Amino acid sequence: MTIETEWRNYDVVVVGSGGAGSMAARAAAEEGSRVLVVSKDPIGCSDTKISEGNATVRQVAADDDSEEALSENLCMAGGNLPVKDITDAFAKDSKTAFDRFRAQGLRPAIDHKRNNPKATPMAFGGHNRRRSVGLPNHGIAFGHANWNAVVQGNGVDYLEDAWFLDVVTDTFDGDRARIVGGLIYDASGGKLIAVRAPAVIIAAGGLSTLFFPKTDTMRGNTGDSYAIAARAGAELVDMEQCQFLPFCIASPPSYEGLLVGEPASASFLGVLRDKNGKVILDSVYQRTRAECSAAIMRAVADGRGSPNGGAYLDMTGNKVLPRSGPYFMRYLETCLPGAYVNARQAFSKPVAKCEEPWEVRPSAHYHMGGLRVDAVGASVKGEGAGARNLGIDGLFAAGQAMGGLFGANRLGSTSLTEVSVFGSRAGHAASQHAHAFKGTIEDNAFAPVIAATVGRFGQAGTVAAATLKQKLQKEAWDTIGPARTGDGIAAIGPIIDALTARLDDVAIPAYATWNQSFIEFEELRNLLETARAVAAAAGERDASLGGHVRLDRGDISIFAEPYSTVVHRGVDGSYAVRRVARPKTPLKQLLAYKAEESWRQFQSKWFRFLPDAVKDRKLETRYQAIMGTPSGAAREVEPGSDDAAVAEKRAA
Amino acid sequence: MKVEIELNRDGESNVIEYDYARRAADEKPMILDVLLQAQATDIPDLAFRYGCRARNCGVCTVDVNGRPRLACRARIKEGDRVSPVKTLPPLADLVVRRDGVARQMRGRLTSVAQGNNLNQDAPDDYHALTACVECYACLQNCPMHARNFTDGANPNPSEGYQWGNPFSLLKLQMLRLDPLSSDAGRDQALAHAEDLGLDACRDCKGCKCGVGIDLMGKVVRPLLEAAGE
Ligand SMILES: Cc1cc2nc3c(=O)[nH]c(=O)nc-3n(C[C@H](O)[C@H](O)[C@H](O)COP(=O)(O)OP(=O)(O)OC[C@H]3O[C@@H](n4cnc5c(N)ncnc54)[C@H](O)[C@@H]3O)c2cc1C
Ligand code: SF4
Ligand code: SF4
Ligand code: FES
Repeated sequence: MTIETEWRNYDVVVVGSGGAGSMAARAAAEEGSRVLVVSKDPIGCSDTKISEGNATVRQVAADDDSEEALSENLCMAGGNLPVKDITDAFAKDSKTAFDRFRAQGLRPAIDHKRNNPKATPMAFGGHNRRRSVGLPNHGIAFGHANWNAVVQGNGVDYLEDAWFLDVVTDTFDGDRARIVGGLIYDASGGKLIAVRAPAVIIAAGGLSTLFFPKTDTMRGNTGDSYAIAARAGAELVDMEQCQFLPFCIASPPSYEGLLVGEPASASFLGVLRDKNGKVILDSVYQRTRAECSAAIMRAVADGRGSPNGGAYLDMTGNKVLPRSGPYFMRYLETCLPGAYVNARQAFSKPVAKCEEPWEVRPSAHYHMGGLRVDAVGASVKGEGAGARNLGIDGLFAAGQAMGGLFGANRLGSTSLTEVSVFGSRAGHAASQHAHAFKGTIEDNAFAPVIAATVGRFGQAGTVAAATLKQKLQKEAWDTIGPARTGDGIAAIGPIIDALTARLDDVAIPAYATWNQSFIEFEELRNLLETARAVAAAAGERDASLGGHVRLDRGDISIFAEPYSTVVHRGVDGSYAVRRVARPKTPLKQLLAYKAEESWRQFQSKWFRFLPDAVKDRKLETRYQAIMGTPSGAAREVEPGSDDAAVAEKRAA
Repeated sequence: MKVEIELNRDGESNVIEYDYARRAADEKPMILDVLLQAQATDIPDLAFRYGCRARNCGVCTVDVNGRPRLACRARIKEGDRVSPVKTLPPLADLVVRRDGVARQMRGRLTSVAQGNNLNQDAPDDYHALTACVECYACLQNCPMHARNFTDGANPNPSEGYQWGNPFSLLKLQMLRLDPLSSDAGRDQALAHAEDLGLDACRDCKGCKCGVGIDLMGKVVRPLLEAAGE
């Protein structure tokens, strides 16, 4: 018995039903396109659904939060790697992008004075302004909105339990590649589905499963976005930039990898200690995620790590002060509610109450790199920001799948905005592309990929893909994980080769309905492809920057000429890597940025050594400013003032 | 620690005993820990759903000793039996076909995006319902949902089930509670609930939610009241 192939026609195929996929589908349908959403998880089940649910909404707290300020904030935080057209697009749309979720039933609390959603009391990690909105039931509320967006109909068809395997391309105008459709494994229907379509939007999320179980993301983040694009000949950018969250659970195993805190939630007196109790990083709340992760992994590499390969986040200093201590606990419980639930469930009582330090370890969370695209999510190639007329015609990406927005560091709460901004942009652009498409789609373009896929069902072999996958995950953590060395990056290449060679030896039964072995095989294939792309980029970036931490090298100076890495898969499966130059921020601006950062850190260091009674009183005032009085009434915080940005501005 | 896992593949079903190796002497594992370890060792092609490992995505529901549980956040003990939830058609091992439930809502979600003022606060009950993770634990013992399969009926999930369930009622009640819905939209949501078989709730003991939402108080009774007892 061979697996059957069914044929369908659409204008736009959207891969993924998280925030980016759902918003892309609605935007394309609004333009009159026939849209198919393909999702390997049930509709809406995605990182978007399991997130903390905080979104960036420009001007939500003050009218003078300009596009320029936000765009510049993203560029500087991202080490000058972000593409200006893309950060500008984000800044421009970020005022109203959130409303697209609201149109699907997302209901934030309203600030009736400003007549817009209510801003969170504090600025989020890395933001120079207060501009985030939270939601009751966090990401799950977004999950409902995305589900509504797709399931309702109105021009959108969908398939769930359906793995998008590869795009199909042909060539035009000489040898330029263009999309003509894709092939899908419909696991619950037990068939392959070949879709003829001139536009495909990849919104299939990230790659954190490469590091399982050291991740807080969905299991489905197997790098499908990047692997599918790379096999089609698209370029990927900044692939060495994986974001690891520093404060995740190291033990017990059922909770391994899950988020328990962020630098900001460590509050004013949180520090990191090694196993000997020595402070390895102070002023944690002022640090970036990457700085904290690096401090932990350096301690581990030196043999000063905790029993489960991490370090200790010590927040007891916040807790013991008699006046401000109770405020701290309330702050901790409310600023990241999902994370604190994890802590309460996983840790013992005294630990969860911060009477003892927390054993924490970094976890893979988000991928800043991704498909090289322009401001509407269209695939680009070439120098500088790249050009659409050199990219894969008809290929689009949005959400975590795309690169170029965050560069070396993503600011908190920006991703849920990214998915809406670029989901909608890609949806509109893909729809316009489909309407303008003039070619004919030849079925024989699909023949090779269908034949190769059909051939996998019933493949004789001696090994299980799940077994190879675990080996890859372990090796990837050690070599291209949160702490890297030149030797480690070089070592992963031959390991990937050896595992790739075994793909033909994976045993896959012939049955068509929910063939788990085939699913594992496909995901392993994508993980291997993605690991290659990350390793190639990591090899090119020869010192530390943002999410790329080289233990054997120092930091790339912020005064150096910035560049992004671009990787490209050759027909033989090997990856070529090159640098593309990025514009440099003017010296004056850089110096101001650096000075501000040093000043903040100096202030908070000094603060730690004040007498307890003085500290306590000052902190009480600070907490009251951000969270209100003990009676619960939130005191009015001047929007954009120092008070509003607890984690960012100088300490009391 | 020995547990039983029901395997269903390619039309064949059998129960195997899996011996879970505790990772710490005092470990009290979750169901998902056992499934992950089984997949990492003896049964590499074991089919089961999971996503977040943190009770947020709602896909990992399985039956333990015949009762639906979220595998990532429910403990398992010696001798327990893990099987696919029996309220939906089995696909492979512990994986069941879910899409017939969502499909029945196609065309039943009146759009709220009708130029209304977005800046209105939703009532607390609305937010209570967005806690639903779509785990389908509430399908257990729902006579309305059971109607889909009575007398050996074998409905096609791709077309959406004819009869509803607590989850579909919850989605409709959300439309009714949404301050942005029009009166016509509210009436329509109620009419859909009636089409889906709301009548079955009148003499039902009531449904139970896997994550603790008060389904009777916040979904079923308000709908029944609106429909007129
Ligand atoms: C615990 C946690 C908390 C977070 N908190 C926040 C926060 O508060 N604020 C914020 O801005 N960001 C947050 N993030 C980040 C943010 O949630 C994600 O970056 C964002 O949701 C990504 O959206 P997406 O649409 O690009 O991808 P996802 O939401 O991950 O969706 C990917 C979709 O693609 C599907 N898919 C994947 N591969 C295939 C394939 N081959 N075929 C078919 N379908 C496929 C999946 O099933 C899924 O539906 C958080 C992330 C996590 C994990
Ligand atoms: S009350 Fe209604 S929805 Fe709940 S179980 Fe009974 S019939 Fe089903
Ligand atoms: S109502 Fe409760 S049990 Fe039913 S699907 Fe939602 S969360 Fe699960
Ligand atoms: S794995 Fe997500 S709810 Fe259990």
